[in-house]
Amino acid sequence: MAETSQIRRLDQRPLKEAISTRGKSIVPGLNTDEAIKHFFGLNALMSIVVLGLIMFSLFSQSIGLNPLGGFFGQSYQNILVYREAGLEFVDILKSETGEVDSIGQYLADARLREFKKLLAQSQQAGKTENQGLADANAALADFDAYAGKVSGTTSGLDDIVSNLGDTATTTKAMIKIFNDKQAEKALYLRVGKTEEANKVVLQPVDIDASVKPLLDAIPSIKDANTKFASDLNDLLSQPPPALDADMKAQLAGYDGRIRALIAAIPGYEKEIETWNPHAPVPWYAGFLEFLTNTKWLTASSWQDSYGILPLFVGSLLISVVALVIAIPLGVGAGIYINQIATPWEQQLVKPAIEFISAIPSVVLGFFGVAILGESLIQLSRWGILPHFEQRLNILTAGILLAFMAIPTIFTLTEDAINNVPRALKEASYALGANRLQTIWRIILPAALSGVISAVLLGFGRVIGETMVVLLCAGNRIAIPPMSDGLMILFQPVHTMTGIIAQELGEAENGSIEWHALFMVGLVLFLISLGINFLAQRLVQKFKISIG
Amino acid sequence: MSTSPTTIMDETTPTAQSVEVVMNPASPALDKSSRFNAPTIIDIDNVDFYYGQSKALHGINFPIKEKLVTAFIGPSGCGKSTLLRCLNRMNDLVDGTRIGAGSIKISGVDIYDPSVDVIELRKRVGMVFQKSNPFPKSIYENIVYGLRLQGINQKARLDETVERSLRGAALWDEVRDRLHTSALGLSGGQQQRLCIARAIAVEPEIILMDEPCSALDPIATVKVEELIHQLKQNYTIVIVTHNMQQAGRCSDITAFFYMGRLIEIDTTEKIFTNPSQRQTEDYISGRFG
Repeated sequence: MAETSQIRRLDQRPLKEAISTRGKSIVPGLNTDEAIKHFFGLNALMSIVVLGLIMFSLFSQSIGLNPLGGFFGQSYQNILVYREAGLEFVDILKSETGEVDSIGQYLADARLREFKKLLAQSQQAGKTENQGLADANAALADFDAYAGKVSGTTSGLDDIVSNLGDTATTTKAMIKIFNDKQAEKALYLRVGKTEEANKVVLQPVDIDASVKPLLDAIPSIKDANTKFASDLNDLLSQPPPALDADMKAQLAGYDGRIRALIAAIPGYEKEIETWNPHAPVPWYAGFLEFLTNTKWLTASSWQDSYGILPLFVGSLLISVVALVIAIPLGVGAGIYINQIATPWEQQLVKPAIEFISAIPSVVLGFFGVAILGESLIQLSRWGILPHFEQRLNILTAGILLAFMAIPTIFTLTEDAINNVPRALKEASYALGANRLQTIWRIILPAALSGVISAVLLGFGRVIGETMVVLLCAGNRIAIPPMSDGLMILFQPVHTMTGIIAQELGEAENGSIEWHALFMVGLVLFLISLGINFLAQRLVQKFKISIG
Repeated sequence: MSTSPTTIMDETTPTAQSVEVVMNPASPALDKSSRFNAPTIIDIDNVDFYYGQSKALHGINFPIKEKLVTAFIGPSGCGKSTLLRCLNRMNDLVDGTRIGAGSIKISGVDIYDPSVDVIELRKRVGMVFQKSNPFPKSIYENIVYGLRLQGINQKARLDETVERSLRGAALWDEVRDRLHTSALGLSGGQQQRLCIARAIAVEPEIILMDEPCSALDPIATVKVEELIHQLKQNYTIVIVTHNMQQAGRCSDITAFFYMGRLIEIDTTEKIFTNPSQRQTEDYISGRFG
């Protein structure tokens, strides 16, 4: 054999030596492969650690590591004080007189309707506006006097409520001072400053003595109730002076409401008699209050309350409106661009839709306030939309959020459709399907899991969006009246994200408001978690059923 | 043993003579046997076909006879699949394709005429693809898909069609107990026969098969070939294949394509025993391709 048949290797070590020695590495002790593996592993670990930290902070700032100091503990304390100070007692009376206010509102609604009718009539008769107003008011003078009598029925109770309310708030303030001092003392003791702790003088509030004026007022409340009932009965004997049959029909429910109120008085009385400031507050009271209370009240002179319900309903309504708009548009555009559009259209439309997501949300919110809200009001003035007053409402925010969800839904839907094998499409056409049949029966079902996750991710985008809802939802913390039907769309609401952005900067660290805001954050987090979980489950389910 | 590529290129440049032979479909062998004297169902008349600017088919010109199996053979990229997909206008789905010249007539109707209903055409000219492509639905729903498209939803009629089609595709005995399970649970060969069943469920007259066995194992291939034998009693079949033996076994007429041109068409027997063109002989004997 010639020398040229010798192979010249780069590594001239013998085979045995070469494979039994580890190569050099950038990290001592590890070979390069392992080093790279650990590097990427650490990166993945980082994201999990950060997620864990976020979850930890959410939990520790809302429910609290020591649950007594967290939201539920503080809320429990609040409810306890509410009961011990007698605010609860006064609120029973308030809800009784509140019924009369609601009946007064009922009468006022009927009056407004009649008033408008009278104005229209006088305008037709050619009278001046001032004349018309004067005439209408004159015609309704009897009615106004009657309405005054209705609201006057509570005068006896109102005085009592006012007096007892003062007593109760004073007691509440005393209890609060005591609680604060107790906390201060505990703090001193904890850090070992016994001297300072001893200096803090605790003045326990004698609950029984404080609520005595309330309990003592029961006989006078009974008297007032008797008078109240007889006044209401008097009202029954003389129905409200309706000007015409139409107005009479409007007031058809009046009698029933008065009767219901009379029937309810013994119930209120019984509640007052059996009220006990020492009745135990169930441990879950704070939890219940958070989930079911329909008020979110901070810095109230009477009683703060942190109910997530109005915020949750607000977020939900806006999201539903946004999705109702965004799903057909996003999915439809995805189908069109992928299946029907010419290449030229694809090049134009796809970047355009994707560009929407590049618009900063504050700019979109600005557009919503300045242009969309105004346009909707204008449409309402022209009679295209029903009449409404609030420029910033569920619909305005919903439309804008739909804009933000469309790129997400569009892009993911288009991807999902793109992943449907071309062979399926061809098979369908080869069997004599037209384009619509192929899209509807083959492509959409095959892409369904992707489309559903697109929609769910769009929902996640919408419910987590903050700036647009803060600017455009109207920010009124109240559950809009569901009896309005679709008119509910024109009501302002506040949202879970909006309230956090709005109030967190002002909330004192560690206060109940602070904890309450983190509770809302926690709920948002859990909703997102639920959405993701649901998306994965659904995707799996559909994969099984089609695959 | 080997012919260099340059030689092939030289040999395949069509001469005036070879074009003349190609253009004459009434080759002596086709005339001799009365078996091949069937009426023409598809008339491919001087078809040029383009993908964008590039010409994929050059003046293809031959008839396809009714209720016979016609096989298209030739090396990859020779245009045989393209021609097949012209026959039910599947190429319409590909952007930038067009027929440059000539016409394809089925039962005397130019299928590229604007007045032609493509949907109706595809119902009558069914297709089976190279890779089995059942829908992600149940076996039953796969078969009745074509009927449902036409708005046929009576259960009795659908049931009857499912059984007839599956029997027709020799699949009934294997799947009769699991008609409502997913079609994707079938083996590759079963899936391909399901696709054939699905194609015959709409009762076409012509079935186009684009390399139907290329992804199947030998046993499944035999089953599909047996099926083709049965089907030709009722259907005109056009099959594209890479497999010489397959063309030899199951076709009556074979057309050999090379570089977008029809080189030779004749009875399968003649093509495989005594081809008149040198290129055909080289290809069949495995010298290139």
